[in-house]
Amino acid sequence: MLEQLLIFTRGGLILWTCRELGNALRGSPIDTLIRSCLLEERSGAASYNYDAPGASYSLKWTFHNDLGLVFVAVYQRILHLLYVDDLLAAVKREFSKIYDEKRTEYPDFDEVFRQLKAEAEARAEDLKKANPVGRSIAGGVGNGNSKKQGSGNKAGSEGGGKKKSGGGDGDGDGDRKKGGRLENGHSNDNFVVGKETNLKGSSVNGKENESSNLGAFDVNRLQKLRSKGGNGKKGGDGAVAAKGPSKAEPPKKAVKKNRVWDESTPETKLDFTDHGADDGGERNVDFLAKEQGESMMDKDEVVSSDSEAEEEEDDDDAGKNSKPDAKKKGWFSSMFQSIAGKANLEKSDLEPALKALKDRLMTKNVAEEIAEKLCESVAASLEGKKLASFTRISSTVHAAMEEALVRILTPRRSIDILRDVHVAKEQRKPYVVVFVGVNGVGKSTNLAKVKENNLFPFNLFKILYVGVMMAACDTFRSGAVEQLRTHARRLQIPIFEKGYEKDPAVVAKEAIQEASRNGSDVVLVDTAGRMQDNEPLMRALSKLIYLNNPDLVLFVGEALVGNDAVDQLSKFNQKLADLSTSSAPRLIDGILLTKFDTIDDKVGAALSMVYISGAPVMFVGCGQSYTDLKKLNVKSIVKTLLK
Amino acid sequence: MEQLDQWKEQLLHWRTLAEDQLRQVPPVQLYAAAAVLIFTTLLLLSLRLLKRAKSNTIVLTGLSGAGKTVLFYQLRDGSIHGGTVTSMEPNDEIFVLHSETTEKRKTKPVHVVDVPGHSRLRPKLDEYLPQAAGIVFVVDALDFLPNCRSASEYLYDILTKGSVVKKKIPLLILCNKTDKVTAHTKEFIRRQMEKEIDKLRASRSAVSAADITNEFSLGVPGEPFSFTQCYNKVTTADASGLTGEISQLEQFIREYVKP
Ligand SMILES: Nc1nc2c(ncn2[C@@H]2O[C@H](COP(=O)(O)OP(=O)(O)OP(=O)(O)O)[C@@H](O)[C@H]2O)c(=O)[nH]1
Ligand SMILES: [Mg+2]
Repeated sequence: MLEQLLIFTRGGLILWTCRELGNALRGSPIDTLIRSCLLEERSGAASYNYDAPGASYSLKWTFHNDLGLVFVAVYQRILHLLYVDDLLAAVKREFSKIYDEKRTEYPDFDEVFRQLKAEAEARAEDLKKANPVGRSIAGGVGNGNSKKQGSGNKAGSEGGGKKKSGGGDGDGDGDRKKGGRLENGHSNDNFVVGKETNLKGSSVNGKENESSNLGAFDVNRLQKLRSKGGNGKKGGDGAVAAKGPSKAEPPKKAVKKNRVWDESTPETKLDFTDHGADDGGERNVDFLAKEQGESMMDKDEVVSSDSEAEEEEDDDDAGKNSKPDAKKKGWFSSMFQSIAGKANLEKSDLEPALKALKDRLMTKNVAEEIAEKLCESVAASLEGKKLASFTRISSTVHAAMEEALVRILTPRRSIDILRDVHVAKEQRKPYVVVFVGVNGVGKSTNLAKVKENNLFPFNLFKILYVGVMMAACDTFRSGAVEQLRTHARRLQIPIFEKGYEKDPAVVAKEAIQEASRNGSDVVLVDTAGRMQDNEPLMRALSKLIYLNNPDLVLFVGEALVGNDAVDQLSKFNQKLADLSTSSAPRLIDGILLTKFDTIDDKVGAALSMVYISGAPVMFVGCGQSYTDLKKLNVKSIVKTLLK
Repeated sequence: MEQLDQWKEQLLHWRTLAEDQLRQVPPVQLYAAAAVLIFTTLLLLSLRLLKRAKSNTIVLTGLSGAGKTVLFYQLRDGSIHGGTVTSMEPNDEIFVLHSETTEKRKTKPVHVVDVPGHSRLRPKLDEYLPQAAGIVFVVDALDFLPNCRSASEYLYDILTKGSVVKKKIPLLILCNKTDKVTAHTKEFIRRQMEKEIDKLRASRSAVSAADITNEFSLGVPGEPFSFTQCYNKVTTADASGLTGEISQLEQFIREYVKP
């Protein structure tokens, strides 16, 4: 059952909650969702799981960017509620109709909600009836595509049909409802619906105009499509022009269209085998979302990028139509737009500016995948917003990106490591830092240098006159212990070593015991460099971390790496999580970037690593000597990235 | 290029037309018009300047969950409506304080900004601090001890910001949630935070050579830290956003944003 549904502003004021559902939520799932998901540039995920004593919730959400509203639904995870996305979309659509900035209470929405909920439940019920395999789909991915396709299809059109008869508003209304229904599903169907309206062209336009400033996501898409229709008209040929190319499109699209709108056409059904595969996959994903929120992330992105590609394709089609038109309008219209302020930003408006930004980020060595995701998240936050007067789109996009970058690079928690040392000292415990990292480039040729870089923080602690001890836990590579000994001698720091025979986890444990005995404040644990794919070594590391529960797990990486950084860090974190025996595994807490002085303005690795791990860059090494360790200046990094 | 030329011609044409028109108007009227125009622009400009000189902005800051948004709506509407969740964006509005809306005489509206406490959103604070007439640092008096360190760190960062130090922006440490009997007193909170900042000072100054974010150092070296050593005035007060007990907060606001 649905536990609660909330509507609140981005400022944090709850505008409406369902009093009928009324039962108080355990813990604070909403606050946790906002803090650890929505504010971490991860709002692209499909759902979020929250566990509190005595309850395990799943949360789903949707935004209305222009009005600055957030809609969140909370339900028990064990119940795979099929209608949540549907309901959220409907609530969003209806609520934005009555929303007024001045108003803070909406008791009249109770009745509307009751109705929407009943409708959504009924639709889900139909879906279940029509599709009894619905549950088992989650079990077996990719089986029986054609069957599923058929039933999904039926349910879809049934829902649509129902709406038509109930809405009384005629065709346009039906379309809209359906668009809304699938809005959060990230599935192709969404686009199918979009195309359908496109084909209908002008006939739908009139009716849809009234809904033009509703939902951010789907309606924008519709809007875009509508504007394409409009362009076509201006071109002189009227709606026919818009229809022309889409009709002449390859059969693929036609098939998809049919799938939703015709109950069963034999020839097209044959075609399902061709294109059903990806569709079926998505349907699966959709169901899976209820099962395993987290792992959804990746798949989801694949899907959405998939559909994006399609959209672009679509753009091209329309582009051919409207090109002569667009040229004529030229810069006059854009000037005018910038003065008058534009109605609502659409994705197509943002694309050129975002593309430029993405390229710029990539020249700064930001991993492509990350640059892509960032642009998507910026686009999602701008889409549907109003452009202020006297601003250009590119500068708006630039500002939004700058804000996002600052947000990402600003550490989630304080990174005052010295203060942490003092706290540990007050509790009479040594502060344990574990250094982890790959044995990447230059390791074999220039080992000493990498090691030296590893040693940077020693000096920091020495300034403070806290007792430091090193633990030689690289029992894997020959020569490592001797090397650390040399460094220790040079820095005049005691070292704890047990040769190469022992398990590094045990060596670390003994080192920490020794440290508390002799009153050292800080234990620096040196571990063997390892490739992220090396299973046994990663397991050993995971054990070391689990057994000793260090205060800080510091990942040492090179600032030079580009796309590799993402792979290294995400795999490290992944392996630490997978191989851990505890339920709450320790991940990487912070990043130390070496060779920061050698990279000029290619500071992208810092961004990539922070984004992928969520851990802050705690130090950057800016030279060969022990003292050249600095903190990262977020503002200057952002400036460099966007320069 | 052709387009441009066309436009140029058009413009020239309009100009001659306008000149013809002007010649028909008697010169006295023209002068009068010009005088009025200049006068109004001057007036507008001076108004602008005056406005900038006297800021009416009050910034609410503090850790997440301290009760800033609740206080914001208490100030605005005298009610917390349906409750709050963690803010994702600042609340930024100019309004007449709710408690003053019933008064007969006209009062000046206040610009109140509630900046979210989530650490990722803290850079937002820098946008508002330069124009602030006063800063309210909201502390959760109920759940104070576990958050003492992070609250003190945040406060330290604010107190050492160049924009705050240079303009000597007054700061109020507002101990919220005092409706509950288990809430700590403001004296206790003040003392604990002073102690905490004192320790912070030591560790921060050790790395200050590499760290550029804290522009100014705090307090007198060699002496235990106290808020009286700050460049700006730091005071403490009690409040309860839940029950609407916010008279001390309003007093602070009215001290620095004159009605
Ligand atoms: N008992 C009590 N609870 C309060 C009081 N003020 C606020 N709260 C509660 O504290 C919680 C957080 O309040 P918010 O105003 O949302 O916190 P915030 O400071 O805006 O937090 P962020 O937006 O995350 O920065 C809410 O659940 C309030 O009900 C108070 O005076 N007394
Ligand atoms: Mg808030």
